[in-house]
Amino acid sequence: MKQTIRVTINGRLYEEDVEPRQLLAHFLRDAIGLTGTHVGCVVGECGACSILLDGKVVKSCLHLAVQADGREVTTIEGLAKDGELSPIQEAFVKNYALQCGYCTPGMIMTSHALLRDNPNPSEEEIRKALAGNLCMCTGYVQIVEAVKEAARGSKNG
Amino acid sequence: MIPAAFEYYAPRSLDEAVTFLAAHRDDVKILSGGQSLMPLLKMRLSKPAHIVDIGRIPDLDTITEEDGHLILGGLITYAQIENSDLLQKYCPLLPQTATNVADVQVRNRGTIGGSIAHADPAGDMPATIMALDAEIKAVGPNGERWVKAEDFFLGLLMSVLEPDEIVTAVKVPITGNDKTGYLKAAPRSSGFAVVGVAVRLALDPSNTCQRAAIGITGITDKAFRAQHAERLLTGKKLDAKLIDQAAAESTRNIDVIEDINGSTEYRTHLTHVYVARAIQAALQS
Amino acid sequence: MDNFIGKRTRSKEGPRHVTGRGLYTDDFRLPGMLHAMILRSPHAHARIVSVDPGEALKNPNVVAVVTPQDIKQTTKPFKPGRYAAGLKRSIDEYAGATEKVRYVGEPFGAVAARDRGTAEDALEQIQVEYEPLRPVVDVREAMKPSSAVLFDELGTNLAWNGSLSYGDVEGAFKSADRVVKENLKIHRYSSTPLEPFIVIASYDAASKRLTVWVTAQVPEVIYDGLREALGLQDIRVIIPDVGGGFGQKIHLIRKYVVLVSLLSMKSGRPVKWVEDRSEHMMAGGHACAQEFEAEMAVKNDGTVIGLRFKEYDDVGGSISTLTIHFTNKLNNLSNTYRVRNIALEGFAVVTNKCPVIPNRGIGKPGMCYVWERMMDRVAQELNLTPIEVRRKNLIQPDEMPYATPSGNVYDSGDYPGLLQGLLEKIEYDKLREEQRREREKGRLIGIGVVIAVEPGGRNAARDMAIFPEMKEPPGSGGVNGAKIKLEKNGTLSLHLGSPNCGQAHETTTAQVAADLLGTTPDKISTSIPFDSDLSPWGVAAANSGNNFHLYDIGAIHGAATRLREKVLKLAAHNLQVDPSELTIEDGVVKVPGSATKQITFAELGRIAYNNQHLIPDDLEAGLEATYYYTFPHAKPNLVPGAERLVRAQFTFSAGAHAAIVEVDKNTGAVHVLRYLIVGDNGTVINPDVVNGQVFGSAAHGIAVALGEGFIYSPEGQPLTVTYLDYGKCSAAETPRVEVMHRPSPSPWTALGQKAAGEGAAIPSPAALASAVEDALTPFGVKVCDLPLTPEAVWRLANHNPESERRSY
Repeated sequence: MKQTIRVTINGRLYEEDVEPRQLLAHFLRDAIGLTGTHVGCVVGECGACSILLDGKVVKSCLHLAVQADGREVTTIEGLAKDGELSPIQEAFVKNYALQCGYCTPGMIMTSHALLRDNPNPSEEEIRKALAGNLCMCTGYVQIVEAVKEAARGSKNG
Repeated sequence: MIPAAFEYYAPRSLDEAVTFLAAHRDDVKILSGGQSLMPLLKMRLSKPAHIVDIGRIPDLDTITEEDGHLILGGLITYAQIENSDLLQKYCPLLPQTATNVADVQVRNRGTIGGSIAHADPAGDMPATIMALDAEIKAVGPNGERWVKAEDFFLGLLMSVLEPDEIVTAVKVPITGNDKTGYLKAAPRSSGFAVVGVAVRLALDPSNTCQRAAIGITGITDKAFRAQHAERLLTGKKLDAKLIDQAAAESTRNIDVIEDINGSTEYRTHLTHVYVARAIQAALQS
Repeated sequence: MDNFIGKRTRSKEGPRHVTGRGLYTDDFRLPGMLHAMILRSPHAHARIVSVDPGEALKNPNVVAVVTPQDIKQTTKPFKPGRYAAGLKRSIDEYAGATEKVRYVGEPFGAVAARDRGTAEDALEQIQVEYEPLRPVVDVREAMKPSSAVLFDELGTNLAWNGSLSYGDVEGAFKSADRVVKENLKIHRYSSTPLEPFIVIASYDAASKRLTVWVTAQVPEVIYDGLREALGLQDIRVIIPDVGGGFGQKIHLIRKYVVLVSLLSMKSGRPVKWVEDRSEHMMAGGHACAQEFEAEMAVKNDGTVIGLRFKEYDDVGGSISTLTIHFTNKLNNLSNTYRVRNIALEGFAVVTNKCPVIPNRGIGKPGMCYVWERMMDRVAQELNLTPIEVRRKNLIQPDEMPYATPSGNVYDSGDYPGLLQGLLEKIEYDKLREEQRREREKGRLIGIGVVIAVEPGGRNAARDMAIFPEMKEPPGSGGVNGAKIKLEKNGTLSLHLGSPNCGQAHETTTAQVAADLLGTTPDKISTSIPFDSDLSPWGVAAANSGNNFHLYDIGAIHGAATRLREKVLKLAAHNLQVDPSELTIEDGVVKVPGSATKQITFAELGRIAYNNQHLIPDDLEAGLEATYYYTFPHAKPNLVPGAERLVRAQFTFSAGAHAAIVEVDKNTGAVHVLRYLIVGDNGTVINPDVVNGQVFGSAAHGIAVALGEGFIYSPEGQPLTVTYLDYGKCSAAETPRVEVMHRPSPSPWTALGQKAAGEGAAIPSPAALASAVEDALTPFGVKVCDLPLTPEAVWRLANHNPESERRSY
């Protein structure tokens, strides 16, 4: 039986009827049309579907949409304002911290949360923070560089 | 990877939850943080008709101090444990363990109650709560009961918990000056323990071990206390030789499993190495 | 001219990906679209007795089912590919199994429902009866007469056996001072792209037109596969953003495109299928496990005069890629060495495991592993240093272009320079000193130095070399198209023959086109998706890094050059000057120094599409150019003759790698302290892009060496169907790779560019093996088999061999 949920996504309230078994990741992609949240493994191992739920980075494939009722979600689409990239997004572009782009939204959401909580992480802290986000293309070098650069930028700015 | 269909219920109180669970106890699963349950549902290894989401029950997400103990609500997440000043100060073994659990996303959602109830033989928390002689509060239709950690786990994904009981709290001691540490071998830092060792040592000023508690996870069907090793350490001054001897005793009478991460022989050896290293790490804590 | 080539420029793919606006196949939704699930075998080896979808079809939301019978009756087998050409008897391979399943996860049917959840429910309700057969898991066992047989038609699991010999191998071994022997193994793994297989098929029955959106690397394989299997003529293949390829999305995915298309034809509705991760891990294709029995003929001074080896390939439960890992040995058969006598014999053995597919190097990591392990072995036996032995045998820069004994021609390279550069960078002698000191303190530090070529280019005729019975080549060389159009507003649009799966096609081609046409990359857009209705064909590039730089860049260079001529001609006509007087700067065509004699691209655009009287009579209207590139120096040996000499690939990048590791003797854990590469990828068009390819492929090779891989139970059950069990590494476990460039531009490509893609995945497994063996020197052990899991290393260090329990 479908249930009605109200979720604030990227600052906007949505009311939708969902099947209880619908995953939050699929809800965001299919019901709301926010396809930036990618699904790479569906069992919580790859982190491509990472989003912020009430401000905390989580894997949206390990959540049911109904669990998000009354909560706030931020997806990759919620970071840039009026076409202007957020510092971490800009750092990813500048440092070529992506190749195929599939892991990128999740990587950025996790990095965004890291820098919010720890504006000056060491390389080791960055690598540990990204342990839940897999990338098959890059070998992570440029991703780590991008996070460092975004951290430097936030310190300067 | 879509779960089989179920009815979803999110009670707003513990009473509501327990009543519902009792009514559907044969075909119900409790959803806490969901970090272990969701994969099982999606792989359809579990196909309950009902899911009770306890995530909206109030007052289960606090850490309080009570008569020399700390009480953690069942909904306390690994991240809360990791970042709790209270725990860092009074029971550091919990944060030492929590920081080793999976990855930040899972730590943000996975709960201590869920972790314990799930009884994963490679979970980190079971080893730690055993080493802490923790007690687990289970609330069901017949009221509440406290179960000692060492009595709680029965086997692979099995515990003394009834299907209509909820883990609402975990009581751990204030460990004061005790030396503690958690060390884990895993193929990936965010992976399950091939072996995980939680150590708590009480030393007197002359460095004699007054009490040793060693919880081990990952190598058999449930977490356990390495009693032979503990006995060897107790009452003695700890030196490298004694620690190695104790470590070698840590798997006595244990059926060490074999899987893709290692043979029985290797995991037995690895456990000895990690017990010794965890003791050393605890001594340096 | 070189305003952008060789420079750091802003990524053109980046902005859309960092904002979640990339468009992958799964992001498309069509009206009335159904969702599919694939029916797969839970058995390693079984006969399908019956399939009954009755129960599933009772649900009104379940719309269509495809059974093995449907597959047999309504589709045709794929045309046998070039890798199956050596079969004694041809074997039909359909999009799904029709009678027998030969690996866990083998598809033999499909179901479509109105939503994904219902499709998954339906899959559980399809009743299948199997007659389980004895599984065939181990290659050596599989070759015994007592083994069960996968393909009754063949009567044996040794599906193919053949050999090649170049030079005087017998003579070399007779005249050798010493023969060094070793058995080596490399296991099953894959690059497991983060985006799984995804297909949308939409069949319009009235017009008999099939449109598919698919995350595939090679449009041609999909196009041909659909034509062969479904007998359709009107096919449109659209390939949007691809979330990683690595070879994984070339071959096997065509099966699913056919099955999903069948569902669309049956239901009359568009159907989408998204593969689950576990499906991909068990059935998405693996790199081949390869066993080698290698022998090297050497002189006492370390000169290698001959190499011969036998190779046993565990090709899994399909014949369609039977010889792919063996024939790829021809690509780097000589590696960086001037050894003239080489013989190889291949045994392709079918087993009840996932079929093998091309993956990041396709057999080349195995070939490099043989060379580099054997070089270390020679050094040990002759009491020389591993560096000396390699130096002694390297092809020298003044020998370039260098013809290898098997017919490859190396275009350029300075291998001694790469090696020397690496040794200086890591301060090799100092490092050895430090290693000695640390060893005295009980620390086990190991240093592995290896060198490898990274071939680029494509030649399908290569496979004829191992099939002497083949009369006609299955194609030869590579052809790759590109289109470039000056738009009416003066911007440029590019259409490539290959889709982009992460090699920065858009960024890199825009840099090249910008320089050639005197404009800036921000005024250039590259069309994504690939659309077979609109895009030129790009068979050669295979959407892979090692071919992109040769073929797509070659094609865009050709098209841009052609367009430049047209632009200059039109401008000259309108400015009433000779084209030779003109230059182009920032989108303005002008006579240098003149304030009036100039015309903008936008003005030319308006003329070219709009204003006939301003277009010279001998110039076609419009400003568009298409160019199909072929490698201009592909001869001789494009097609193998009696000597079986063949140009397997055409450009030869190279790299020297150093791995510095520490081994924990008590746990067997290997910690990579440093990993350095000095690379030659020819002219680097975009350093960030090339570095990214190097970092990624090196990281993968390192992870492979240290434990990433597929494991099967003795019953043929895959035990590694999640990323966690498979051992995929995150940033936390991946070492920081460092790279330096020492390019030797190719004399035979337009810009001097050479391959830059999978290269670092080729030598990195060997580098790790070398380093770990070096670390374990005090114990006198040899590293022969990959992967070097902690348990494997612990057993080596403690002389405690394990009886074979698991199968890789």
